[in-house]
Amino acid sequence: MTTRRFVVQPRGLAPLRVTLLVPLLSVLAALLVGALFLALTGNSPWSVYSKMVDTAFGSSRGVSETLISATPLILTGVAAAVAFKMLVWNIGGEGQLLFGAISAAGVGIWLGDGTPAALAMPAVILAGAAGGAVWASFAAVPRVYLGTNEIITTLMLNFIALNLMNYLVLGSFSPWRDPESTQFPQGRPIPEGARIPEFFNRLDYGIFVAVGVAILAWVLIVRTRWGFEVRVVGDSAEAARYSGIKVPRKILGVFLFSGAAAGLAGSLLVAGILGKMDPRSLDLGLGFTGIIVAALARLNPLAVIPVAVLMGALNNAGPALQSIGVPSATVRMLQGAILVFAVAGEFFIANRVVRPEKLVATTPATGDAAA
Amino acid sequence: MTLRSESPALDLRGISKAFYGVKANDDVDFELRQGEVHALLGENGAGKSTLCSIIAGLYRPDTGTMHVYGEPAHFRSPKDAFAAGIGMVYQHFRLVNNLTVAENMVLGNADLRMRYSDVDIERQTHEIGNRYGLPVDPQARIWQLSVGEQQRVEILKQLQRNARILILDEPTAVLTPQESDQLFRTVRQMADEGRAVILVSHKLHEIKQVSDRVTVLRHGRRVGEPVATADATPRELAAMMVGHDLVLPTRDPNEHLGDVVLSIQDLRVRNDRGLEAVRGVSLDVRRGEIVGIAGVAGNGQRELAYAIAGLRRPVAGTIALDGVDITGTSVTSRIARGIGYVPQNRLGMGLAPGLTTEENLGLKAYRKPPFSRGPFLVPKTFKDVGAQLIDEYDIRGVRPGLPIRLLSGGNLQKALIAREVTQQHSVLVARSPTRGLDVGATGAVRNLLLRERDGGVGVLLISEDLDELLALSDRLLVLFEGRIVGELTSDEADPARLGLLMAGHVEETA
Repeated sequence: MTTRRFVVQPRGLAPLRVTLLVPLLSVLAALLVGALFLALTGNSPWSVYSKMVDTAFGSSRGVSETLISATPLILTGVAAAVAFKMLVWNIGGEGQLLFGAISAAGVGIWLGDGTPAALAMPAVILAGAAGGAVWASFAAVPRVYLGTNEIITTLMLNFIALNLMNYLVLGSFSPWRDPESTQFPQGRPIPEGARIPEFFNRLDYGIFVAVGVAILAWVLIVRTRWGFEVRVVGDSAEAARYSGIKVPRKILGVFLFSGAAAGLAGSLLVAGILGKMDPRSLDLGLGFTGIIVAALARLNPLAVIPVAVLMGALNNAGPALQSIGVPSATVRMLQGAILVFAVAGEFFIANRVVRPEKLVATTPATGDAAA
Repeated sequence: MTLRSESPALDLRGISKAFYGVKANDDVDFELRQGEVHALLGENGAGKSTLCSIIAGLYRPDTGTMHVYGEPAHFRSPKDAFAAGIGMVYQHFRLVNNLTVAENMVLGNADLRMRYSDVDIERQTHEIGNRYGLPVDPQARIWQLSVGEQQRVEILKQLQRNARILILDEPTAVLTPQESDQLFRTVRQMADEGRAVILVSHKLHEIKQVSDRVTVLRHGRRVGEPVATADATPRELAAMMVGHDLVLPTRDPNEHLGDVVLSIQDLRVRNDRGLEAVRGVSLDVRRGEIVGIAGVAGNGQRELAYAIAGLRRPVAGTIALDGVDITGTSVTSRIARGIGYVPQNRLGMGLAPGLTTEENLGLKAYRKPPFSRGPFLVPKTFKDVGAQLIDEYDIRGVRPGLPIRLLSGGNLQKALIAREVTQQHSVLVARSPTRGLDVGATGAVRNLLLRERDGGVGVLLISEDLDELLALSDRLLVLFEGRIVGELTSDEADPARLGLLMAGHVEETA
């Protein structure tokens, strides 16, 4: 006879405290693994972590820099969360962000200095969203109408966007390149009027746009007819067709919304902190980090906001580690570990792991026999 | 292993098996004698399949002992069970569609493949098939065979491996009455040769027809001692199975036959493979009647239902609702015009599994007030209407935020039908609406359909369950290979006639 020490039992519906606790524990577990790694490489985990906390949150400047780092991650996080929730595997947030930046900078440069700020700023910002949507459409349209695999196409489009950006500034004398940058090629600054004003150290109002989009995404999905249809499609395309929902259109809509959110991240960078399309400052994997953000936020657009701040804090703290002799890549390692634990944590949200004697008879709900 | 002739083929004592804290088998004893056909009777969820899977080595019991021909057995995998001479024919066949019958016979049995050539295998297959009245072409590929023939292959597979204990899990679910009769003759023959057969079923007449003894399971436990089939009436067996006397609702003659509400002319519809599956069907459904469509699965039922619901555009023919041609209209428009549809695939098509019960109840009405206002949903309506329907249709197990997939089959079906019948509608298409439901839920669903009929709705009941069709239909049409091959009034219909028509024997009518 076999007696098992632990038994796995699906939960059905996880209580709120579990859905909150598990991601927190995932982060904690990742930090523990990171600590082990740091200790093995001869560093003091305590001093590294305290340095990180201090850099990210220890001063008003630290906080503002953390929020600056968080802004694009909110948007790429929303982009991934919305798409993944509908089983649209858009892992092209990176490319959509970059093409959004290219579009935003292009519109800014084309408008020039003469355009009033009230026109130029929204134009630049929206150009990024439009650019992201266009870039996403290159994967979305074939997916919807030909059934291509969007994981492959979005991933490949990332490289195309990256090389396009590099070419425009580093490899050619395009309008995107600053003609005055002789030493090392740089992006041409967009007009001052199109820049988003700062209000807290270097932090600009773009963060409100990002937070607004996260809230908008939540409202759209949870509170609108469109969002209801999208949720039905994401849950079961067959049920959607059965109830008269036009499935291809919904998938296309979600895909483009996702691309627009990522593209917006690009334009907020260009119109905000960067002021130009700067390849070195944009090629940071923000689109990929957005996937981690979405996973840890359990694909909830509102939860994306705090998670993006956490990831932004890590990004912000990275370079400061070098001053104590630890490579800034430590941060990347931690982010990777967090993703692994967050995904693994899903198992504990979906299931209980208990001693056999503590099993409870829950679902499937009974009641047929007595009807 | 020494074969002791006096010991039972199988002797299970105190078998318990729990899944996620729910006891699927609870202290079950089961004895199978050599040379007997032993029926395992019980409702869905009574634990029949779990018990069989334990015998077949698929699951290991939590507690209990098992002896095979007197020897203690501890199966770690189906392979062990197979080595002990136990073979199981599952409800869902374990065959490779692209291989031939002969190739499937040796699949997973490297030994046979080494010893015999393909020709030998084919010859053997042929011989065994003929000996047991299960003829099948050894060179045919599985996908070319009918479901009944595929089942024969599964049985032949076990016979070729010389299984001495054979488990048949609801074998007649996919067969016509005539095919079932042939199967039972084969089963009898196998038992007479000294093999032992376990027949899993919830159909009483089959059990009466073929088995020697019956063990009844209810809620995972054995009910009483095994009884000799000859000593038990179907009514007694039914009472043992359900725990109390229960009579399923049947129709009264309909009195309020109205005008034709759904009229289909020369309909032709293709299946997923692009072949014509509905080949010229014409039928009328009047208000206040239930028209049953009988037929073995795969004769065009799905495509017919899809075409009426607007999910598939017909190649030719017309569909009219209240005299208005709706052949080219969209699904949404048909929902709005009043065609309700209860699909066979409840969870996944009729219901979105991950959404809540309330959301699923609003799945067809969400486009209009009061469920939505402009582009926005009105959560309060979902909640209020949901609560009302949950109460009215006795949908149990619902909790706030709980995905509907966690409800039991009967409650899923009640929710689905509740939604369909509370839309403005004049036609209801229902496919196998009580399939997989236990007796209580079946009764509830049947009552809902009869209430619809009496309320003046035209009901098209497409089903493979003859009992259900005979109990509910005012008229019966038989669908065979995409055509209507017979029409019977409720008075003329009996299982034998229906069975012949379902098998394609067209009646010569004067």
